[in-house]
Amino acid sequence: MAVPVSQMYTVASYVLAQKMRRVKRYPLVLMLEPLFRCNLACAGCGKIQYPDHILDKRLTPEQCWTAADECGAPMVSIPGGEPLIHPEMAEIVRGLVQRRKYIYLCTNAILLERKLDEYTPSKYLTFSIHMDGLQEEHDHAVCRDGVYDVAVKAIQAALKRGFRVTTNTTLFDDADPRRVRAFFDSMMQLGVEGMMISPGYSYQKAPDQKNFLKRGRTQQLFARILEDRKRSWRFNQSPLFLDFLMGKREYQCTPWGNPTYNIFGWQKPCYLLQEGYVKTFQELLESTNWDGYGTGRNEKCADCMVHCGYEPSAVSDTFGSWSGFGRTVRLTLTPNGR
Amino acid sequence: MTTPHHFPSDSDSLEGRVFRPATVLELREAVEQAFDYRGDVLLELSSGKRVEGYVSNRDAQAVEPFLEMFPKDEPGIHIIRFADITAISFTGKDTASGKSWEAWVMKKEAQRWAEAEQASNDARARGHL
Repeated sequence: MAVPVSQMYTVASYVLAQKMRRVKRYPLVLMLEPLFRCNLACAGCGKIQYPDHILDKRLTPEQCWTAADECGAPMVSIPGGEPLIHPEMAEIVRGLVQRRKYIYLCTNAILLERKLDEYTPSKYLTFSIHMDGLQEEHDHAVCRDGVYDVAVKAIQAALKRGFRVTTNTTLFDDADPRRVRAFFDSMMQLGVEGMMISPGYSYQKAPDQKNFLKRGRTQQLFARILEDRKRSWRFNQSPLFLDFLMGKREYQCTPWGNPTYNIFGWQKPCYLLQEGYVKTFQELLESTNWDGYGTGRNEKCADCMVHCGYEPSAVSDTFGSWSGFGRTVRLTLTPNGR
Repeated sequence: MTTPHHFPSDSDSLEGRVFRPATVLELREAVEQAFDYRGDVLLELSSGKRVEGYVSNRDAQAVEPFLEMFPKDEPGIHIIRFADITAISFTGKDTASGKSWEAWVMKKEAQRWAEAEQASNDARARGHL
């Protein structure tokens, strides 16, 4: 199993409690962005495209904890920017651990070895290392030679110290499935707990609306990557979501599942689109026109298959019915079986 | 994880442009452009005051429509009524122009690595590497 039992139990009991209370919209993972400053300029990254005075702004630890308390999600993902640049990141993490949140600190690992002493291994803390492929592909994606090697060394150091470590990978349509599969082998050989994969997101002002061609290409890519999966590969994601990526299952987006909080406030409607900000989580839930987003509802959502919107859909499917649960168990035990 | 955004091409960029809205509709459209813009803008207000900064939010549906701006050279945040805005100038660099994945792929290798080197130098100068 990629995910520890305690975390699975926490998430399962949380989701079941929401369903029993008939809560229609509940958060699963808080996307907490304490800063946008980064020490890389990865190709296509929209999160760092701000003037310098905005890149210099930071959330305080208190703001981060308040957001986590307000939202109530059992998991907190900390992307950015590069979180390890934040001078109070270790304190932020300590406060979230005290709140028993399962934290995925998303980092490019350039600063990880240097900062490891500031952190304590915990079942609540996972370093999720940004790795977009083997050395050639990753260094190309992050636009800097040598980053892959630094990340591998940092992964090894963190694992040796007893930290939970996963990888997160964004794949675009030009990815080579054979090289991606070889990358999976490498990460498993390194000893990471699990891998998270997602297609890249791009929105064109005039998207190709003919049969969602781009979405189709994404599904073909993931089908080629994930068919005949090796048993040694551990994914830190729902097997139903992986099926969705392969085009074997359809879901509607759950944008409230991974709400985003950053220096501007609570972001409407989701992690990827920035259509406005509100002051409270409750206002986010109540004032967002949720029916205006998702597959077939909005041109900006036409090609999107990203985990932040669709992983919550898969999790909801798992716990929404006995058949959903059964499908999840079956796919977990026999990912290639049909 | 990379999180692409919609990126204008260099020819679409509003950098350097000035809007002097003549109607409420034009004003709302100009504010919307300022909100989408990934750079600082300069607002001229009916009081004669000028404020430059990043427009982080707007609410055109409020009883009194307003925008929120992080000023460039001061701490805090300004809340400015639409009704007080007489002009919007896109003075700051458009940090998103030409930065999409697609645009990056189309750039020549030399240009890509020159940009990457500049980003690396900036990060090193801040002590982030």
